[in-house]
Amino acid sequence: MPTAAAADALVEVRDLTTMLSGKAVFAGLSLDIPRGKVTAIMGPSGTGKTTLLKHITGQMRPDRGVLRVDGQNVPALGREALYALRERIGYLFQNSALLTDYDVFENVAFPLRQHARLPEVLLRNIVLTKLQAVGLRGAARLMPSELSGGMARRVALARAIVFDPMLILYDEPFVGLDPIALNQVLKLIRTLNRTLGITSILVAHEFAAVRQVADLVHLIANGQCVASGTPEQLARGESDWTRQFFGGDADGPVPFQYPAGDYATALGFTGAAA
Amino acid sequence: MSADMKAGAPRGGMLVDGLAQVGACGLFLLGMLGAIPRSLRHLREISRQIWFVGAMSLVIIMISGLFVGMVLALQLYYTLSIFGGTAALGTVVALSLYRELGPVITALLFAGRAGTAMTAEIGLMRATDQLAAMEMMAVDPIAFVATPRFLAGVIAMPLLANVFSMLGLLGAHLVGVTWLGVDNGTFWSNMTSNVDVWKDIVNGTWKALAFGVVVSLIAVFQGYTAPPTSEGVAYATTRTVVFASIVVLALDFVMTAFLM
Repeated sequence: MPTAAAADALVEVRDLTTMLSGKAVFAGLSLDIPRGKVTAIMGPSGTGKTTLLKHITGQMRPDRGVLRVDGQNVPALGREALYALRERIGYLFQNSALLTDYDVFENVAFPLRQHARLPEVLLRNIVLTKLQAVGLRGAARLMPSELSGGMARRVALARAIVFDPMLILYDEPFVGLDPIALNQVLKLIRTLNRTLGITSILVAHEFAAVRQVADLVHLIANGQCVASGTPEQLARGESDWTRQFFGGDADGPVPFQYPAGDYATALGFTGAAA
Repeated sequence: MSADMKAGAPRGGMLVDGLAQVGACGLFLLGMLGAIPRSLRHLREISRQIWFVGAMSLVIIMISGLFVGMVLALQLYYTLSIFGGTAALGTVVALSLYRELGPVITALLFAGRAGTAMTAEIGLMRATDQLAAMEMMAVDPIAFVATPRFLAGVIAMPLLANVFSMLGLLGAHLVGVTWLGVDNGTFWSNMTSNVDVWKDIVNGTWKALAFGVVVSLIAVFQGYTAPPTSEGVAYATTRTVVFASIVVLALDFVMTAFLM
């Protein structure tokens, strides 16, 4: 569902169709991610939110459709062009995905060491600046195994912004965080967006948290974008989808029961019905 | 469907799956070879891996080589004494070690010590999204993770096999000369006059190099393609040892037939 901000969209998705194991994950999905805003992608579990992030970064190719990031059609990009694009994108993994052989400093320095030939002093200053931004400059020499979940996520965030990307993708950034760590991550997302103007895409289930940072929410279900708007607009629940999802109803357009045969037959009560 | 057809179906499936695995492994090897120029930018990573798979395997290789040489000397002394040929002990031990036992046993130990470590490490890197994170940082995991480990294995194996054989000779000398009383001069002079550097030692080193290629390839491939679960990594590690051992023994026969 294209929004009014389509003209200034950093990410444009048009008629995206993806089949996985014979099941349509996306069936003509269309949406826009406006430049410089925080956009949340929400939807029931298994609806393809992380798959969408993988399409945006070219980790997975759709079966059909167009997906443009900053004007480039990602599925059509070759390896070199894709890697060049990825250098401008930060990705925060659900499990942080820190390199376990390296300490915090080297994890954040990793992209710089691979792609930029910087003097060690400059590299050190950039890394410390990013670690200071996430409040972990003092943890620079700790190993990933010594970090809490919230700290690991902040280190991963420092690594994701080390190249000052145009776009950051957050995959379930609030899962498993205590209230303090959750607020820290929320504050960081908002600060990065406001101070650096980084476009952010947020995949999350926690509407209360999303409400605090997102400018726009896309609700995905049944392979399509079924609702878009500000968090306040969606919270009003003007459609069955938004009413069920944001109201937390067990049953509705998204059925509670996984498709199955007749219940009475499964229990062996076929004779009782007759 | 008849019982025969039912029984035949899985066998056909396994054959096709097996061929598909071999094909995928071949393509993976081509991918790694193509990534060598990019991997050479990561010399620090390659030398770190040589340290892990080579230097860290030295202790087990040296101890095993010493004992294999000692056992070999005991057994061969007994056999040669039947024919009154104990003077040839040094020669027979050296030929056995350099031509056969050194490369083969080193490869089997290498698969168990370094191969499993490579598979488990890469498998866990996939399971914890570290490889995906590298992809997202525009770093090719084949060039940064797979190829350096493969090259390290290929470089380390011939060196380890020669260390194994040298320690084996030392063990044989300890048993044959010091314990069983074979003349020291006869032991060394017969050996040096009958063992040819090119035909025996260099051919043995070629074997070790070939074993290094197959063991490292199998270990890295199994880790890279392991399902991202604890069970998947465990199976992949087991497969590394089983496949590498079978391939090494089969390849040994083929190479020996050609190099004889």
